[in-house]
Amino acid sequence: MLKKLVVMLLLGYVWLPNISLMAQAEAVTNSFGMEFVLIKPGSMLVGKYQPTVGEYKPPVVRAGEQPQWVLPPKAYKVAAKMAQEAAKPGFTVTIKRPYYIGKFEVTQEQWQKVMGNNPAFFQGSRVKDDTGKHPVENITWQDAQTFIKKLNKLDKEHIYCLPNEFEWEYAARAGAEDDILWANARKMGIISEQITRAVGSKEPNAWGIYDMIGNVWEWVQDYYNDKIFADPVPPQSGKEHVLKGASFTGDAKNATYLTHAAGPGNGFDVGFRIVMEVR
Amino acid sequence: MRLKFIPVIILFLFFYYSALAQVPKGFKPIFNGKNLKGWHISRTTHQGTTPNFHVENGYLIVKQQPYGQGGVLLTDKKYQNFELYLEAKIDSFSNGGIFIRSSESGIAYQIEFDESAGSTGNLYGERMPVSKVMQATERAKAWKANDWNSFRIRMVGEIPHITLWINGVQIWEVKQPKNDFTAGAVAGMIGLQSHWTALFSPTAGDWNGLNSWAPGAAHRFRNIAIKELDKNLKE
Repeated sequence: MLKKLVVMLLLGYVWLPNISLMAQAEAVTNSFGMEFVLIKPGSMLVGKYQPTVGEYKPPVVRAGEQPQWVLPPKAYKVAAKMAQEAAKPGFTVTIKRPYYIGKFEVTQEQWQKVMGNNPAFFQGSRVKDDTGKHPVENITWQDAQTFIKKLNKLDKEHIYCLPNEFEWEYAARAGAEDDILWANARKMGIISEQITRAVGSKEPNAWGIYDMIGNVWEWVQDYYNDKIFADPVPPQSGKEHVLKGASFTGDAKNATYLTHAAGPGNGFDVGFRIVMEVR
Repeated sequence: MRLKFIPVIILFLFFYYSALAQVPKGFKPIFNGKNLKGWHISRTTHQGTTPNFHVENGYLIVKQQPYGQGGVLLTDKKYQNFELYLEAKIDSFSNGGIFIRSSESGIAYQIEFDESAGSTGNLYGERMPVSKVMQATERAKAWKANDWNSFRIRMVGEIPHITLWINGVQIWEVKQPKNDFTAGAVAGMIGLQSHWTALFSPTAGDWNGLNSWAPGAAHRFRNIAIKELDKNLKE
């Protein structure tokens, strides 16, 4: 009888988490109104650098103006060689476990509910529409951790943390194998603007997640490695943490999945989104 | 016999030190000529996060790194009202410049460097619209092509009043109608920029930006110094 019980318990231990996994809902909203999207396992190529060179174009001559100065064709040959030498093949990252990621950046309203204050710079008279729907910003990585700790105490059903850089990038890419086209970065991202906008103002990505590009930089869990892209394993310690996705002041140049930036940033354009699992 | 060499040595030292231009009186050096103590790299500018800023023969050298990625070097300290002095030698086809009152990601008023575009000495905004853009139309009077040129920039007021001198000649003076910074900054860092030319991938788009930074191009700086002015100064 005792043996049977042990076997049943063991089976339960092995099977139950898988059953609950299979039953995971595609979308979850917590008691603070934070919406999450289920991200399923898969893999992606990270840190592939294929720097562009462009092609020689003869100078444009406009009537009454000095002719434009341009580099000679041979400069493009030198550049092509340098670009080839600088290129990096990247490495494959496999996401083994499903996870939930915030459909939106954490808003000022949500921060207020959890923390009882609002540190954002763009609020009140600086914002024309509903401040509460704008992302919270002006927070350090440590502030984000404080928020998460508090939320974990308040919500007995879910566990929260910051995404690591690969979880962030995998969700941002939403299946995209290569970089984002500029035109799409502008469709999906609040970039080249002067202030934040309400979250979800632009188009979502292929997995229904908003503002992965632009609006505010997003803190991830990892320490920064002082390099252009992440290493397969992030450093164990460091001075700064990684920031992803660029902000409203970003350009299509850095508003891409690949950009691997770091703190401290401007403050007023630095926020976060969180990942969640069911307890 | 040996005594004969003394005047020669004195003369040599005289010419040597006068050749090394000095910072103007009342200015405090903010670059020590040995390393980048007091400066840091912006990790959030779109220009690039891993530029090559280093010291060589006493000069601060500004380049791209890796190929196609520029960046912004910032002072650790923020300055409010000040006069900045520096000497720069810039290659053709190398777009960059001096950022004043810069934010950490390089939102700033910018004194442009771009010899091939003919815009060196213009006042622009980096990642922000500037109410009154200035053209350095008088620059030819003072400019020494392919050589060292000194820049003195005066920045005063909550609503910025900015003046530029090149080689001691006033090039322009402007009082902006408003503070153009999105966050209303009244102080910020001094920054030096190397422009990006390459996207991470051709998938991102078809970009032809090589004229913004020729392969291997550089900016060189020396005698970077500042004179801080009264915080309450109004002009």
